[in-house]
Amino acid sequence: MSESIIFYTLALFLLGGASGMITARRTIFSAASFMLSMIALSGMFALLHQSFLFLAQLLVAVGAIITLSMLVIVSVNISERYIPKEPHLGRALLLGALIAAPIVALIVVALQAHFTASFAPVPEDFGTLASIGATLFSAWVLPFELISLLLLAALVGAVVISRKGERS
Amino acid sequence: MTPLHFLLLSALLFGIGLIGVIARRNLFVLYMSIELMLSAVGLMLATFSRLRGDEGGAVLSLLLIAIIAAEAAVFLAMIIALFRAGRSINAHDFTQLSQEQNA
Repeated sequence: MSESIIFYTLALFLLGGASGMITARRTIFSAASFMLSMIALSGMFALLHQSFLFLAQLLVAVGAIITLSMLVIVSVNISERYIPKEPHLGRALLLGALIAAPIVALIVVALQAHFTASFAPVPEDFGTLASIGATLFSAWVLPFELISLLLLAALVGAVVISRKGERS
Repeated sequence: MTPLHFLLLSALLFGIGLIGVIARRNLFVLYMSIELMLSAVGLMLATFSRLRGDEGGAVLSLLLIAIIAAEAAVFLAMIIALFRAGRSINAHDFTQLSQEQNA
């Protein structure tokens, strides 16, 4: 019972933060709402017994990525006149909702038709650091190495892109 | 809680991210909407991992977080470079690729 109270509270924060992000006019408010929804998402991982994912989401997504985004938003310090005004934001959001609704409805109908089962109990060490690490370094070594290459490429790419802007 | 709740929630999150990508012009908000869609997929992967008792999904979700980090680094560098080049973070100002090339 308490689990479902936690779930609905987290879902409220998750969806509220996400909608706040796409409706806020100030960029930093958007980022703050996004941070709220990502913290709620890490709570969802905890509800799913994914203790390591919970930690990774909290540390990497919230602690690193969003903090970095907020730092960039604040430090670039774009003056008010360069920020897009978006006078018809409500209409644009409505149009977006009209386009997104059929896609989401299709996914919802498909999910409702196929997933009626409830969660089976899992072993005690499911989702812990040790057990995720064992899976990662046995069956998932190749994707792991490829991701490290991708991260290196992104690092170099970010440096190159920002240097090119400096020269011109 | 049933798996359906989590799956529906991730579908809704994906939809909100999609609305953000379609409706907004601010490059920062676009970038965060894309991240939201990726995170929704991560939640779905974690749910399936729990449903099947298979940790592969959790590992995939972990790798997805790494991809989101890579995307954040490149996208933020790109926003800064675009702002320096064009003095704008309005997505509607960057239409060079959709216009006819005359020169």
